[in-house]
Amino acid sequence: MSSDVVLSAEQLKKTFRIGFLRKRVEAVKDVSFRVHRGEIFGFLGPNGAGKTTTMKMLMGLIYPTSGRGEVLGRKVGDVDAKRRMGYLPETPYFYEYLSVEEFLDFAGSLSGVKGPERRKRRDALISRVGLDHARGRPLRKYSKGMLQRAGIAQSLMGDPELVVLDEPMTGLDPIGRKEIRDLMLELRREGRTVFFSTHILHDVELTCDRVAIVVAGRLRSEGTLGQLLSARLLSTSVVLIPGPEGLPDLPAGTIRMENGGQLELQIPATVDVNQFLGAALSRQCSVVSVVPRRESLEDVFVREAQAPVATASEVKT
Amino acid sequence: MNRIFAIAHNTFREAVRNKILYSLLFFAVVLIVSALALGELTLGEQVRLTRDLGLYGIDIFGVLIAIFLGVNLLYKELSLKTIYTILPKPLYRFEFVAGKWIGMLVTLAIQFAVMGAVLYFALFLQDADFELQTAKALFLLYLNVMVITSIALVFSSFSSPFLSGIFALGVFVVGRSISDLQMIGNRAGGMTKSLIQASTYVIPNLNVFFPSGTIVGAERVTVNGQFVNSAYLVDATIYGVGYSLIALFVAIVIFNRRDFV
Repeated sequence: MSSDVVLSAEQLKKTFRIGFLRKRVEAVKDVSFRVHRGEIFGFLGPNGAGKTTTMKMLMGLIYPTSGRGEVLGRKVGDVDAKRRMGYLPETPYFYEYLSVEEFLDFAGSLSGVKGPERRKRRDALISRVGLDHARGRPLRKYSKGMLQRAGIAQSLMGDPELVVLDEPMTGLDPIGRKEIRDLMLELRREGRTVFFSTHILHDVELTCDRVAIVVAGRLRSEGTLGQLLSARLLSTSVVLIPGPEGLPDLPAGTIRMENGGQLELQIPATVDVNQFLGAALSRQCSVVSVVPRRESLEDVFVREAQAPVATASEVKT
Repeated sequence: MNRIFAIAHNTFREAVRNKILYSLLFFAVVLIVSALALGELTLGEQVRLTRDLGLYGIDIFGVLIAIFLGVNLLYKELSLKTIYTILPKPLYRFEFVAGKWIGMLVTLAIQFAVMGAVLYFALFLQDADFELQTAKALFLLYLNVMVITSIALVFSSFSSPFLSGIFALGVFVVGRSISDLQMIGNRAGGMTKSLIQASTYVIPNLNVFFPSGTIVGAERVTVNGQFVNSAYLVDATIYGVGYSLIALFVAIVIFNRRDFV
C-alpha cells in the first residue's frame, strides 16, 4: 500500500447469521476504497447501506467475513496504528457518570498520553469544542450536540493523523452541523485526514475532496465530486412574470408551476433557452431569474441508490 | 499495563458511583449490626453469634454484590455501546477484559474491607479479644467472591445479565454443595456418580472457602476456635486465584471472537 494511502478497504464483506435459524444477512457484500493522506473523504449511502458495518470492520469492532482493511499501513486492530487514529462512533454513547474532563483524561490515558501533556491537551480540546462552561458536569446531563462535541474531543486526544467519524452530523441543528463541518476543514488544514460517513449530501458538497457511495452493501462510485458530477446541463429554470400579451408558446417538455403572480418554468436541456427568452421579452414578459440546473450530488446519489446492482468491476470512478 | 490500569480505574470509579452497590453494602452493614443486637439476647455467646451472623451476612451479600458486578461488567459496555468508543483506542481486547476484571476485584476488596471493619467494630463493642480468625475467614470469603464474580464474567461475555446471574447463582449453590453431591453420587453409583464426578472438574468446590465446621487435616475447624493455618490459606489462594484466572482466560477467548454490531 502506498504511504499516501492512510485507510483502505479491499473487497470487504460481512455476512451476519441472525435468529434461531441462523439466517444469513449480507450487510456488506463488496466494498473497496482508498483514503489518501490529507483529504476529507465522505462515505455516503442511504440508511442500511452498510456504512457503519464497514466502518466497524475498519475500526476492529467487527471481523470481516472476507477481504481486508488497512489503517495507516497496518492491519486493522494494530495497536500502533490505533494510536495514530481517532474514532467517533455513530451517535455518541459515553460513560455518563464521567465529566468531560474525566472522560478526556481516560481517553488520553488509553492513547498513552502522559500526565501534564494529557491535561494540557484535555483543556485545549474542551475549549476548542466549546464545552468550557460544562467541563465538570456529568455527561448524562449533556444535550445531544454537547455529547457529539465531547465525542469529537475524545477522538482527538491522541493527536491523530487520521480521524474517523461515523455520522457526525446526525441529529444536530444547522449551527451544530456547521460547527462540525468547520472543524473538519480545520483538521484538514492541520494536515490530518478525515474519513466520515453521512447521508446528508449538503455537508459532503461543502467539505469533501473525494467520496465513495455505497448502496446495499456494495460500492457504487468513488472519486472526486468533479469526477462524479456530470457538467451536463439537465434543465434551465426560468422564473418570469407574464406580460400584457401573455406568454409565448412553451417548448415541448416544459414543466410549468405558478407561484403567486410568477411562473416557474423548467425548460428541457434540448431547447434553445435564448430563443425562448427573446420571445418572452418581445411579449413584454418580465424575467426574474434564469438558472441552469446541472447534476447535483443528490442526483448522483438517487441514481446510484435506484440503479440495479453492479459488480465490483463496474464501480465508477 | 497503563492501559489495563486505566480501564481498571474507570471500572472502579463506575462502581463507586453506582447507588445499587451502596444499598447492598448498607444491607450488609444492617445485618452485621443486627447480629450485634441478637447477640445481646444470648447469654455468654454474644461474641460467637455476632461473629457467625456477621460472616454469614458478609458471605451472602458478598456473593450478591459479586454476581451483580460480574454479570453487568461486560454486558453494560455492550448495551450502553460505550465499547464502540473504547475498543478502537490503542489497546488489545484482552487488556480491556483484564482491566475490567481487576477493577471489579478492587471494588470487591474495598467492599469486603468496609464490611470486615464493621464486623470487627461490632466485636470490639462486645469486648471481644482481637483475633485473626475473623480476618482469615474474611480473606477466604473474598476468594470465594473472586471465583463467583469471575464465573459471572464468563457468562456475561456471551449472555444477558439475567441469565448470567441465574447461571452464576447456580454455580454458587452447586459449588457449595459439592461434598453432598459427591456423597450422593457415591451412594447412587453408575451414571450419576460419573456425571457428578465430571461436574466437579468444571464447577469449583466453594467449600474450600467456607471451612468452618469441616474437618481439615485431622481436626474440626471453626472460626470461633481452632481455625485453618497459613498453609491452608496458601492452598486456598492458589485454588481461588487459579480458578479465577482460568475463568478470565475463557472470558477473554469468548470476548476476542465477538463482533460488536
